[in-house]
Amino acid sequence: MQLTKHWAGQLDDYVIDLAWSPDGSILAAASASGPVTLFSSGDGARRHELPGHEGGTNAVAWGPGGSVLATGGQDGAVKIWDAAAGQHVASASLGRSWVEHLAWRPGGGAPTLAAGAGRKLAYLNPDATVRLEFRDAPKTITALAWHPQGGCAAVAYFGGVCLWDGDDGGAQKEYPYGNGIHALAWSPDARWLVSGNQDPSVHLWMPERDVELQMSGYQTKVRHLSFDPSSRWLATSGGAEACIWDCSGDGPEGREPVMLAHVAPVCGVGFQRVHSLLATASEDGVVKLWSPERRQPMRATVGMPAAATRLAWSPDDRLLAIGSEKGFVYVLRCDP
Amino acid sequence: MDTNPIPVTVLTGFLGSGKTTLLNRILSERHGRKLAVIENEFGEVGVDNQLVIQSEEELFEMNNGCICCSVRGDLIRILGRLLKRKDRLDGILIETTGLANPAPVAQTFFTDDEMRRNFRLDAIVTVVDAKHVASHLDSGDESVKQLAFADVILLNKTDLVAGAELDALESRIRGINAVATLQRTLNCDVPLDRVLDVGGFSLGRATEIDPKFLEPEYPFEWAGAYRLPAGTHDLVIGHGDGEAHDHDHGHADGHHHHHHGNENELDVVVMPVPSLDEAAIAAVRDSAVPVFSDRENRLEGGGRIIPGAALNRLHLSGGSGSFKLEVTEPGHFLVFEGCGEEPLHILSGGDTVRPSWQADFHAAHGHSEGVSSVGIQQAGELDGKLLNDWISGLLRTKGNDIYRMKGVLSVKGAARRLVFQGIHMLFDAKFDRDWGTEPRMNTLVFIGRNLDRAALNEAFRGCLSA
Repeated sequence: MQLTKHWAGQLDDYVIDLAWSPDGSILAAASASGPVTLFSSGDGARRHELPGHEGGTNAVAWGPGGSVLATGGQDGAVKIWDAAAGQHVASASLGRSWVEHLAWRPGGGAPTLAAGAGRKLAYLNPDATVRLEFRDAPKTITALAWHPQGGCAAVAYFGGVCLWDGDDGGAQKEYPYGNGIHALAWSPDARWLVSGNQDPSVHLWMPERDVELQMSGYQTKVRHLSFDPSSRWLATSGGAEACIWDCSGDGPEGREPVMLAHVAPVCGVGFQRVHSLLATASEDGVVKLWSPERRQPMRATVGMPAAATRLAWSPDDRLLAIGSEKGFVYVLRCDP
Repeated sequence: MDTNPIPVTVLTGFLGSGKTTLLNRILSERHGRKLAVIENEFGEVGVDNQLVIQSEEELFEMNNGCICCSVRGDLIRILGRLLKRKDRLDGILIETTGLANPAPVAQTFFTDDEMRRNFRLDAIVTVVDAKHVASHLDSGDESVKQLAFADVILLNKTDLVAGAELDALESRIRGINAVATLQRTLNCDVPLDRVLDVGGFSLGRATEIDPKFLEPEYPFEWAGAYRLPAGTHDLVIGHGDGEAHDHDHGHADGHHHHHHGNENELDVVVMPVPSLDEAAIAAVRDSAVPVFSDRENRLEGGGRIIPGAALNRLHLSGGSGSFKLEVTEPGHFLVFEGCGEEPLHILSGGDTVRPSWQADFHAAHGHSEGVSSVGIQQAGELDGKLLNDWISGLLRTKGNDIYRMKGVLSVKGAARRLVFQGIHMLFDAKFDRDWGTEPRMNTLVFIGRNLDRAALNEAFRGCLSA
């Protein structure tokens, strides 16, 4: 396997979010200080630099058609941008709290953007008008993940996870969990909903069978989760190793996880979208690629001058974008 | 990643204490530091040139809701975001509401790996309003805790209170927390380097403890020495029958109206002392300590007190009573009083005998707050395993009541000093520098509720290496 540098770019500050446009032609990279840069995926040329948010940008998310980019920031606003023109087209103010979570509803239908700001959740239209506003969560919203078919948005806060219907906004289900939650992920086949927790553990719910599992033994809180496209492997951070659980059948309980070693604490995990490579990053700047089901799982190692903050595979799985604490954006090409 | 942790100051104090004044000063004064202030959601500070973030306190409760194992989820979230800025902060100031227990804030920086790595809890600063603190202490638990946790206490609004009253307040605060640095201020006008980056949680400074606060506490508040002939004498309590008040040892600590326990009972121990030299008195004083924990002899008015290692609980009526003191061998006697507020007279053949020596003692019991500091200072070497067993057992059973611990210990076989710092059940210990030529002295201080000084001392001595 060949891993080569495709191009590199530089932001003015910590790379707080990265997102590939749906056709893979543009990489949006947000700096913690505010500006959002749109890079051409072919050569790293800067197509546009959007001013982002005063006080800092927190999240970026491409609309399903690829023409619209949504951003959320410290100013409490969600902004909608015309990506081709690099123009700001609309804003929604969600109050004084930071907008930290943005996710477009998958699965077709009218495009809907879920936005989490403080304890507030809202569903927005692509023109930034509010489609649905929800009662405040009991505590600050700490993670947001759409069901893979878009039937509901899972919203986490200290105390549990609530599933809000994607159409009418009704509460479908509440899963209590007595600790802080940092991350949420659905398996692509929607059998599992998983939280990464402060306590430190991961908690798995299987909604269709009303089963819950708790996997603990981590060194530190679990902030990063990623499922492989087959829904079998769940990669998790939470120490100086990436811990991979086998979620096939009845799930990971009673199974030994695959432990993929780093030297420093793991700060990112990301499976490819259709293939099965896993990228993991640690705070010493190392990024590794793995095939977790192989007997010799390690495929490649790259050292970078600063810790990775985000890992993002392009839609065709050929490019891995890595954001770093010092503002560098690296795009690596991964050839079989 | 920057390796120098950012110092965090926790600011506590009741509404109206002057906390906001201090916050405004810190934010507006040109001190050259780039600070972020995390205010509780009712905060009222708004300054342009510094970063002010309002936050609703969100507790992540660990272990079945135990408050001292909880962390502040909002701080983890907000500080996590602040770390992602290129312009590095020189400090974080966290304001807590008057009613908030500061423990979860501190715990956040002890237990969360990311917080622990990037931030350093510098100090808990408590602002108290000199005019109202006494009534707060009388009525509530929270202000006592805020004092108990503090590394720095600002006794503010001193212009509203007379000097003697301030002294009394200060000594009452000292009774709760003997190791914090205490500053008297008018409008929180303290140099900021006394408040920011003071190293209150630094292990290196754990022993910068004023030795005068390490004075042992005693189960009695007053003792006097009397030279008595053989015979039966009268021991009279209270302002009975127009006697001169030869023993009217009022305290300066401002709470002499507080009687500990039943005001019609007084514990008295009378023990012979071979001479009045310091060593002899100290020996008898120390041997009187366990006697105060003995089973008491209850005496009604007119009852007989026999000198010796026995605890006499005198029953009074209206705060007065008269008892017989039987002396078989003439000599000097030390009379110990559990509560030092009771006028005590000894009459021999109808004449008042004046004490030839007397002293007030810092009593371990009875402050209405129930929160106090216990300091232990002892030379010698500790057995590492015994020490570990003791501390872990102590924290398991009493961690809830122990707010702060600090110390420097001499462990057998270790060339370096073992320094430690703790808050509730959590503590941090490391070996710092060589003892070198310095005498190997163990110093430790506990601040907490219902601390049993005698038991702590005894358990500590049990850890000394044979």
